[in-house]
Amino acid sequence: MNAFGLAPLLLLFPAIGVLFNGLVGRRFVEADAKVGERWSGWIASLMAISSFVVAVLLFISLWTNGFQAMIAPIMDWISIPSANFSVPWAIRVDTLSVTMMLVVTGVGSLIHIYAIGYMHGDPNFSRFFAYFNLFIFFMLILVSGSTYLVLFVGWEGVGLCSFLLISFWFDRTNAAGKAMNADAGRKAFIVNRVGDLGMILAMFLMFWTFRSLEFGAVFSTAVEMFESHHIVEFGLFSAPIGTVITAITALFLLGATGKSAQFPLYVWLPDAMAGPTPVSALIHAATMVTSGIYLIVRSNVLFEIARASGPVIFGVISTPDLVAYVGAFTGLLAGLIAFTQFDIKKVLAYSTVSQLGFMIAAAGMGAYVAAMFHLVTHAFFKALLFLGSGSVIHGMEHGHHHLHELSHAEHGHADHHEDVFDPQDMRTMGGLRHKMPTTFWVYLVGALALAGIPPLAGFWSKDEILAHGNQHAIAVYVVLAIAAVCTAFYMGRQLHMTFFGEPRHAAAEHAQESPALMTTPLVVLAALAVVGGLLNLPYLTESMAEANHHHPGGLFLALEGWLEHSIRSFELTEEGVFALPHTPIVLSPLVAGISTLLALVALGGAFYVYRNKPETAVDPDPLQKIKPLWWFRILPLETFYMKFIVPPFKWLADWLAFAVDWNFWHDFVHNNLIRDMFVSFATFLADVFDKFGVDGTVNGIGSVTKSLAGVLRRTQTGFARTYALGVFLGAVALLAYFLWVLY
Amino acid sequence: MPEVTIDWYIALSVILFTIGSLGVLLRRNAIIVFMSVEMMLNSANLAFVAFARYLGDLDGQVLVFFVITVAAAEVAVGLALIVAIFRTKKSINIDDMNLLKG
Repeated sequence: MNAFGLAPLLLLFPAIGVLFNGLVGRRFVEADAKVGERWSGWIASLMAISSFVVAVLLFISLWTNGFQAMIAPIMDWISIPSANFSVPWAIRVDTLSVTMMLVVTGVGSLIHIYAIGYMHGDPNFSRFFAYFNLFIFFMLILVSGSTYLVLFVGWEGVGLCSFLLISFWFDRTNAAGKAMNADAGRKAFIVNRVGDLGMILAMFLMFWTFRSLEFGAVFSTAVEMFESHHIVEFGLFSAPIGTVITAITALFLLGATGKSAQFPLYVWLPDAMAGPTPVSALIHAATMVTSGIYLIVRSNVLFEIARASGPVIFGVISTPDLVAYVGAFTGLLAGLIAFTQFDIKKVLAYSTVSQLGFMIAAAGMGAYVAAMFHLVTHAFFKALLFLGSGSVIHGMEHGHHHLHELSHAEHGHADHHEDVFDPQDMRTMGGLRHKMPTTFWVYLVGALALAGIPPLAGFWSKDEILAHGNQHAIAVYVVLAIAAVCTAFYMGRQLHMTFFGEPRHAAAEHAQESPALMTTPLVVLAALAVVGGLLNLPYLTESMAEANHHHPGGLFLALEGWLEHSIRSFELTEEGVFALPHTPIVLSPLVAGISTLLALVALGGAFYVYRNKPETAVDPDPLQKIKPLWWFRILPLETFYMKFIVPPFKWLADWLAFAVDWNFWHDFVHNNLIRDMFVSFATFLADVFDKFGVDGTVNGIGSVTKSLAGVLRRTQTGFARTYALGVFLGAVALLAYFLWVLY
Repeated sequence: MPEVTIDWYIALSVILFTIGSLGVLLRRNAIIVFMSVEMMLNSANLAFVAFARYLGDLDGQVLVFFVITVAAAEVAVGLALIVAIFRTKKSINIDDMNLLKG
């Protein structure tokens, strides 16, 4: 089967959804809220599902065509023949991009359906779905582009959608009257600009070096240049190719730290939770934030060359190692911060930062398949957890609403007072497992998968990363293992605070299970979180690996076998290129045992610590006794940025605006220099040039003519005989002249 | 008796032209001036026919007919003008006709 020709449809369907919901959806909803919402939501979902079907067809096409990467051209985007520069807009269908397409559209479709239930009753229902489809559109451009520039278009597009969706409720203010949601959107956008700068610089450098931005061309040229010890000329100076590629990859890392919320740019992601929960699930857990990992995995050739070039730029570390350390450090830091959060979604947000750290670390260690594996399983269970938390919030709001109606019935309207109630605060929850049984069970599955309890999906993918670290980078392994313990602990804490114990607020007592429209996607995701590990099951014993010659086969290492067609498996050294010996991925009983044991202990520990605490909604958290832990709550970069980065930046901006732009540019340059020069020049023209030059010339001609005429008028005597004499003399003169000329 | 050669004719023509010129320049009576102009024209006519005969070429003689014709027309116009001027000024002294002066 060959369905490569259908590839453009992948982008067309969400685009149709955007147009429908953006242009006419609102009228549908306004005309009839119930029917309109159904149309708006289901058309958007249908478009996402259609894209998913196309992605599946592409998957089958790849499978039946020997996994060969296919380029489906759409149009010639930029073409400058004189500069030998062309950027086609084409869809690259290979195993890596199809994996991303399936995750984006598959998980995306489920979240679309969930959102129909979640956004029910929102006045801007169709705007939400227009943005949601727009996000799917841009995310698919990102993962399907065949050049870095098209990838960057998607990269910026999803950033835009992230901004639009975080500040979706832009008119909501907090108790202090600040527009927190709009601020959070702006913050995400601005922080991401820093990372995007890295992307742009990396592309400039890449184009200068390779004269192309197309994946295939860049990678093959890079390998050739590395083998021939190419020196890149920069006009004033030159640098060996290894150094240049190290710089490119370092700039990619900057881009990835922005988009994938890594240290030191992770600060936007927790704030991004201000958006509607389906947004957090789709954009800030499952798809957009993984584009940094996709970028690194896609550029694996460059990162491997940077690894082979050694520590050339930083002097101490090569880029992939830096990537691994940044990822591991972020994983641990975010895991620790998650301990101190009370907001159910913020815990998940920091957890996402932490898990993205795992993926980044894996990619940095060269375990690209493990990174992608964790990306996929994480998409399943983190989307599940976010949607579950959305269901909990929905239930709590419902309970709170119900409570209000009760108090209205009992006390009348007079003594009604608006209490400040936060439906996302875990301290007000408790005991929800009886009220929301479906949500509880799927949440439990998601939490255990995230904590790494076998045989759920998270265990296999996390274990693959840890096992790789254990073999190749022991420091990264230790940090990530501690981060994994943190994961299990904060998920245990969250589970207990939310679902176990007794309700700590009347709203929790009246919480209700969410409608089937919301719980059905949860159940599907829970099923995926259970069986997701099958995607890339390692060989359980050494002998099983031997039987398959250490190659993917049968039930095992399906993802590895699938992705090896996109991720080159070779090793580069200063001497040249070697085929990479296939690392036998065999389950390491030691690593798996340690992490399982630690996860269980941490989960149990969390349940023990929180066995009956906090008793009421205002009780302090038992962890608050451990002071240093709480420093993380206040210590994080946030404060650092606000203290040391933002004020100088603002000062600089003020200085630029007032001193440079207003005082210098406007007042001095414009008023003093340009205006005054203009005025004095104009004065010169008016008073000197015009008066003496132009007027003088004209008047001079007049007066000279006049005085000349005064002299000549005397010749006009009026006596005919004088004139006759003149004629006579003239005739004589002419005759004399002719005689003189002729003889 | 000396033979009348071309020189004699030319000499007579020059004398007539000189008398005519002096009459135009010196005399104030418009009629006299007019007659002097006619004398200059006829001196020219004399030169034409003299040369025509001397060269055996009829062109000069033909031209003289034209000159006489034009002179006749000129006399008609000129005398009419003098009559008109005399009616307004009661004078044909050309020095009295000096209105067009600078």
